[in-house]
Amino acid sequence: MVNPTPQPVQPLLVFANIAKNFGAVQALRGVDFELRPGEVHALLGENGAGKSTLIKVATGAHAPDSGHLVLGGRRLDALNPATARALGVACIYQQPALFPDLTVAENLALRLEPAGAWRRVDRRARRVRAAELLQRLGADLAPDAEIRDLSMPEQQLVEIAAAIGAGARIVIMDEPTASLTQREQERLFAIVRTLRAEGVGVIYISHRLEEIFALADRVTVLRDGASVGTHAVGDMDAAGLIRLMVGRELAGLPPPGGTVPGEIALELRGTGCAAAGVGSVTFAVRAGEILGLAGLVGAGRTELARVLFGLTPADEGEILREGRPVRLDSPQAAMAHGLAYVPEDRRRHGVVMELPVAQNITLAAHRRVFRHGWLSAPAENRVAAEFIARLGIKAAGPEAAVATLSGGNQQKVAVARWLATAPRVLILDEPTQGVDIAAKGELHRIIRELAQGGLAVILISSDLPEIIGLCDRIGVMRGGTLREILPGGTAAPVVMAAALGTNEKEGAA
Amino acid sequence: MRPPNQNHWKSHLFRYEVLLLLVLVVEWLVFWHFGTTVNRRGVTVGFGTVDRQFDILRHSCEIGLLALALTPVILTAGIDLAVGSLLGLCAVIFGQLWHDAGLPVWAAAAGALAAGGLGGALNAGLIARLQLPPLIVTLGTYSLFRGLAEALTRGAVTYTDFPAGFLFLGQERWLGLPVQAWVFAGVAAGIWILVHRTMTGRALRVIGFSPEGARYAGLPVTRQVALAYVLAGFIAGLAALIYTARLGQARADAGTGYELFAITAVVLGGTSIFGGRGSVTGTLLGVAVIAVLKNGLATLPAVIRLNAAEELSGLLTGGLLLGVLALGAAPKFLSAWRSRGQSRRQPALPPP
Repeated sequence: MVNPTPQPVQPLLVFANIAKNFGAVQALRGVDFELRPGEVHALLGENGAGKSTLIKVATGAHAPDSGHLVLGGRRLDALNPATARALGVACIYQQPALFPDLTVAENLALRLEPAGAWRRVDRRARRVRAAELLQRLGADLAPDAEIRDLSMPEQQLVEIAAAIGAGARIVIMDEPTASLTQREQERLFAIVRTLRAEGVGVIYISHRLEEIFALADRVTVLRDGASVGTHAVGDMDAAGLIRLMVGRELAGLPPPGGTVPGEIALELRGTGCAAAGVGSVTFAVRAGEILGLAGLVGAGRTELARVLFGLTPADEGEILREGRPVRLDSPQAAMAHGLAYVPEDRRRHGVVMELPVAQNITLAAHRRVFRHGWLSAPAENRVAAEFIARLGIKAAGPEAAVATLSGGNQQKVAVARWLATAPRVLILDEPTQGVDIAAKGELHRIIRELAQGGLAVILISSDLPEIIGLCDRIGVMRGGTLREILPGGTAAPVVMAAALGTNEKEGAA
Repeated sequence: MRPPNQNHWKSHLFRYEVLLLLVLVVEWLVFWHFGTTVNRRGVTVGFGTVDRQFDILRHSCEIGLLALALTPVILTAGIDLAVGSLLGLCAVIFGQLWHDAGLPVWAAAAGALAAGGLGGALNAGLIARLQLPPLIVTLGTYSLFRGLAEALTRGAVTYTDFPAGFLFLGQERWLGLPVQAWVFAGVAAGIWILVHRTMTGRALRVIGFSPEGARYAGLPVTRQVALAYVLAGFIAGLAALIYTARLGQARADAGTGYELFAITAVVLGGTSIFGGRGSVTGTLLGVAVIAVLKNGLATLPAVIRLNAAEELSGLLTGGLLLGVLALGAAPKFLSAWRSRGQSRRQPALPPP
């Protein structure tokens, strides 16, 4: 599997068969990875393939359940953040965590100088050191500039300088170019190459294949929490990488189709919302149909769902419900028009953790349990019991706080809340994320049944097999708009290529 | 990590209210025992008399009303520091409408209630509509309302000579109980129904737990939060009328410091200052505990209360609040402390 380059160099970092579970969810199930000095090693995988978890193992935020690491020539079972830093691991996040009101030199000092309330502050030495570090990176930045006046890539630069100043030998960059312009990107690449020339090992995470081809020496692909191979970038092409990333199938579900979709339930004509960053979205979804929305993180899928549910109302185009134009400028309006939205962030938005299961289920369907605003306890118990039985929600009872439920059952409560409103269009945003395998299967069955019952379902998911196995048609979003609609059952590499946008550019650079 | 006790917060609240009831009973027995004496003419005086009990009831109605008004507000994780000042402003407006404008007393009373509602609406607009922090907004209106009351009276005028029909509200009995106690009971019942039996109450609770969650559940967050503040203002107006009727005078300094007693009562009653958790029953118990303490201390013999009923009352109220809060938090703290060893080994929650 591992690329057989003859190089007897001692690696900076080795992951050996790392596994990590969260409750019943297997986030990592056997990752092998090796970072050498002076290389840029790309980490590639679908959303949820385990990249973030792996990074957190490297920075000491998570301890692996099994497997070991080798760092600085030492074999370790786990790291904590302090040891990771001491052994030279630094992570540059998308959103730099700097103090906006302090200068570059002061921010660097905060990271690099020892603490101590009565320590003397040498401002001159501080500035000199900051200037040296920035110069080493070839960065054209004044040490006295305030962080708030810097652009995003300049702030990233300060983060990198802090990492280098602290003696980092391993620099992890998590989608560093996500919010950069082309020119800013070039500058960042130059700095990454400087790091490489200094013998630093860079773990580079990006969804953009062309960046990986332009910058990386080797690439490791993660799929479903396992590493499926490490290759020299020069040996690979875009199609090959995509094949490695996907290639998983959804077991236990009959293929889509079989039901005849009914009337058009919801139609979008050039719909968009400038503030939400989505625009010109056109599609229609019929009663009884599951329309999937595939795309990368940041493609605008959740933003579109928020527009449809009136959380960030549309300011462009038209929305039609059963052929009639409607204005969905508040969640209440969306609900009145038969829309329901099960949000992505279950814990913050999908359920109210502190509230009992029964109250969570009836929260949106208050008309069914409050007669003229007056609570009817029997009605509440009846509605709760109905959905607990129908969705198979496992809880100690209808009065149990939702916080005591497993992730899968919390998700079922979130779905039940919206089914109780008897919607005509149901938008599900990552309904199976962070849910164990059994609950996932049940949710798939429920979604399928809902569609067969005549509901129009819009399914947002980063889980490609789920989208492919469940949906009648697959809309692919990229850059805030719907790019194309593929038929259900389309091969995973084709969907992934559409989400990445590689098929339009004829492969990679 | 997931305990089998399903009914966690409800059973916790139940225990907490029982705890408060116990405190109240102990307070009562202590004052009854030490605060009741027989004077030279053989008449029982002090705490253990019906008159004294009615006195306590009478004196606690205004703060009790403000505490009831604050309960829905605090359930939304908000706060209203301005209710005491608004009480003063409404009292002055009532006095002026009756005395200076020559309106009939019922019209003046309606005017005072309307002023309370308007004052609440000002808070509501700033907090619910403009999303400004409740603490700062009501800190502002706290000064504003009191300042207005003082400006209207030039800090000097006191309105008196109200008709007997109005004073009836604050000084007489009806069906054996002080008249204002009936008003208080009515408002308490209304707030109890609002909080525990209506959609609005459920919405206020959810907003307190998670305003974003409430929005995603399609609840009209702005409207419900606004309602809580307008209602608080309206009840402050009602409290102003009762205050004026009890003392027979309307002054700009009416109700000074009442908001703090009211907040203390609500929090003592188990309503979380972070929103979501709490009950009207708890607030009523909280009001009772504070009122009995304040009034009971004055009936104790000088030796016991060290000649300092006022100071002692403040001291004990503060101590009680902190003590009961600590006791209420103890089970949670203990269980968290016990499970610390386990959770360090395996975090049970998936990453967000």
